[in-house]
Amino acid sequence: MRDPFTVLGVDETADDAAIRRRYLALVRDFPPDRAPERFREYRAAYEALSDERKRLEMTLLGTNTIALSRLCTAALLAASPGSSRASKQAVAALLAEGIMRTVIDKRPPG
Amino acid sequence: MKKPNQRGPVSSASLGALAARAAEALKQQRFKEAVELFKPMIRQDPRPEWKRSLAEAYHGRARALAAKKMFKEAAMVVENTLGPDGTLADPVFYLHCLIRDGQHQKAAAHVLRYVGTKSTLPAEERAILEDLAAALLVAVPLGPDPARAPSSEQARWLELAAASREALAAWVAGASAQEVERQLNRISLRSAFRPVRVLLKCLITIPQDANRSRQLLEAIPPGSPFFAFREAVAAVLAERALDADGWHRLTPVQQAFVAQTRNLPGTAVQFLAHSAETARSGPSALFGFLFKQPDLPQAEVRSACLNLLPQMPDRLSQFEKHFGPLPDFERHRIQALAAEGRADWAKAERFWRAAVVATSVDDDDDRQAKLSRGVILRHLARLAAEHPEIEGEGDGFLDDPVISYLETSCQADPDYVAGVLELIGHYRADSRLKDWHRLVDEAVQRFPDNSSVLLQAAESAMARKAYKKAAGFAHRLLKIDPINSGVRRQMIELQVAHARKHMRAGRLELAAKELAAAAEWERPDVPSAVLRIAQALVELRAGQDAQAQERLRAGVALAGSGVAGWFRAALEGELMKLTGSSVGLLRQELARERETPPTKEAVMAIVSALGQPDTGENKRAVASLLLGMRAWLLQAAVIEWLPAEFQALAEILAQFDAFDVLAEYARTGRRREPGNPMWRFHEIVARTRANTTRLTMRETEELGRMVDAAVNREDFRSANRIERFLSGGGDVPLRRRRSAAALLDTLDDDDVPELFAAMLEGMPKEATDSVRGLVREFGRDGAVAHMVEQARATPGGPGMPDPVLRELCQVVVAMAMDGRRNRQAPTARRSRL
Repeated sequence: MRDPFTVLGVDETADDAAIRRRYLALVRDFPPDRAPERFREYRAAYEALSDERKRLEMTLLGTNTIALSRLCTAALLAASPGSSRASKQAVAALLAEGIMRTVIDKRPPG
Repeated sequence: MKKPNQRGPVSSASLGALAARAAEALKQQRFKEAVELFKPMIRQDPRPEWKRSLAEAYHGRARALAAKKMFKEAAMVVENTLGPDGTLADPVFYLHCLIRDGQHQKAAAHVLRYVGTKSTLPAEERAILEDLAAALLVAVPLGPDPARAPSSEQARWLELAAASREALAAWVAGASAQEVERQLNRISLRSAFRPVRVLLKCLITIPQDANRSRQLLEAIPPGSPFFAFREAVAAVLAERALDADGWHRLTPVQQAFVAQTRNLPGTAVQFLAHSAETARSGPSALFGFLFKQPDLPQAEVRSACLNLLPQMPDRLSQFEKHFGPLPDFERHRIQALAAEGRADWAKAERFWRAAVVATSVDDDDDRQAKLSRGVILRHLARLAAEHPEIEGEGDGFLDDPVISYLETSCQADPDYVAGVLELIGHYRADSRLKDWHRLVDEAVQRFPDNSSVLLQAAESAMARKAYKKAAGFAHRLLKIDPINSGVRRQMIELQVAHARKHMRAGRLELAAKELAAAAEWERPDVPSAVLRIAQALVELRAGQDAQAQERLRAGVALAGSGVAGWFRAALEGELMKLTGSSVGLLRQELARERETPPTKEAVMAIVSALGQPDTGENKRAVASLLLGMRAWLLQAAVIEWLPAEFQALAEILAQFDAFDVLAEYARTGRRREPGNPMWRFHEIVARTRANTTRLTMRETEELGRMVDAAVNREDFRSANRIERFLSGGGDVPLRRRRSAAALLDTLDDDDVPELFAAMLEGMPKEATDSVRGLVREFGRDGAVAHMVEQARATPGGPGMPDPVLRELCQVVVAMAMDGRRNRQAPTARRSRL
């Protein structure tokens, strides 16, 4: 499992309430009926951080990539939703990827 | 393989032989050979069944090529099976090969052939083909096919595909929402091109109605070829700013689409791509990359680099040079994690302990520091349980490091109930009864409303025979957890045990009162067999026969009926010391039931009944009851016992001196499983009547070899069991013995007495006098034997290997008598440890 701070996108210093708020927001966006795998990942991460001692255990006994995630999120903040259009190549690549995924999922060779 | 002659005609006789060879090759999945054999046969005689077999051989060959990722060749082989109308029996596989080979144009042209035609394909396959057709026709514009004119349905599909492409092109070109909408209206919502309409509709309505867009997107299922597009559009639509986790879940193609659509600056895209790429290359590459980012917030860069240090502690000095020195605690923590990464457990322990010391020095009153100490010490306890290299903090080399670390963690963080419960569990498992009771008393003060602690408190009080206290805890527990069946059962058993005492003393009324109180613990849905039987026997003794008989039979039925049920009743009678007609009835019923052959379940029910604490205290009565069961139990020797089941049975048989029965079970088991050494072990236990002084030298050596073999095959349970027997039943975990043995193993044979002598240099004069007194009373050997026995009763005694203990006592005696170390004393052999 990836480190739970990064999965939930919360700081190592976040308290119970902040972690719960973030978890509920994620579950609203990815409920178990629509995104079961993602939900399971969020649930496991939430349980791993739901208690002060568990959080401390995660912080002291492991490593996490939350600081790197924060740097990436900061880079992503520069984006403005819907303000531009993708290129023809990007759309074509996306369609090709979808087609490829379908054939791989539907009919493994051999 | 030799190719068959393809030029001249083949005779009918050889055609038959070829057909047999071809069929055999096909059966054996030698598809290439089958193709070569069928081809000339069909040229000469195009039988339909041979044509079908040839197609099957082509498909098998194509699949074999596809499995080797030779998609181009696989597609070419499949093309040999094209029908006159240009269609295939398995078009999805053919499309798979073409698409994996990048031949989208050819795939689009082929898939169009299935549109609007009557097909025998299953509905699911047709649905896949239609979805793929729509996606392929949108992705790849098809020119007119000069060879064949499209059917009306195919023409409609081509029109819809063109409309979809134009709508996408309009959006890409930056057309207004109205213009794109106009294009979208040309796409039928009931067609396979609907996903294009949905995706573009969502993109042009950003950010007006994000919720509506998300609902629309859900119409594109995960199996659709448009699903990757849907995920990218969902990321574009994200209400909050897209976070790193969401970004990294996208594929690079999706990321490119999202970056362009969300107008992400080039520097940001570059940073995201580089950080992901360097992270994939390893911590060192990422560390180097982050170090060269002066424009990023340095606190975050420091934190990201700090998290990489445990994977590359050699960069610690570089880190400190750049960001300033780390506190001692952090430095030790990083080194400890790095040592764990290298599986250097001794070093990991040293650094973790240094980290604990660092928190103590820096922040003794800080809550966070105390919690940190608790976390690290519990971690050390967990490591100690798994890795014998972890030595612990105790001074004595026989101290259990798991327990010592848990003890210190509880001191550091006494409010952590799970830690306290874990330590209680270890005390119990290690038979440290005083510590168990002490810690439970402390825990119940600190956590008065915790059900797990209250259960422990009730059990501790029961073990101390403090009935009222146990009842008090049980009542408190049931207020918090009314369904707790464990504590109810234990309280019933405790009160039944009290009632037995009253019965043995002839206090019938008090016994009845005790049982009435026990009944209050019972839940109607979980009736207690032991309570029913005890109540019935008290009533029998009181002469209330009719009521008693009915209750007795109900209790026997609850206890499993048959031999198991009546044995339970007879056992209760023995424990209550019933006499006369009541006990006669029980024995009579039990004798009648013994006529039925034994089953594993019945024997195990008897073992369970004999396992209750009261039976041990009334050993003679129980042993006589068991003697009556001897013939019946002997019949059960032929049952195929699992090792765990038999262990419980063997312990009970030994406890109640049924060694002849145990011997018979062991003999039968050894005949059945000659390779299982545990049967031989039980045979030895039975022969010596579980008394190690009766062991022959050969048996002792045999058992020693069994322990070594069990340790080698990591069967610590068996090794522990044999060691426990060898040490006379002491219950010392093998881990501790092994750590002691490992420590002594590092010494040379001659070092052992040397070490003991050094330890005993400072022996006080009173101790010397006392040893001399022993020698005067028992003689030199007798004194040694006496001291060995005494040493075995000390806390470290059971963990000390026998030869070492004896050696130690011999040195003590020699020093007391001769005033110097006896150089003639036999040295402990490492191999015996």
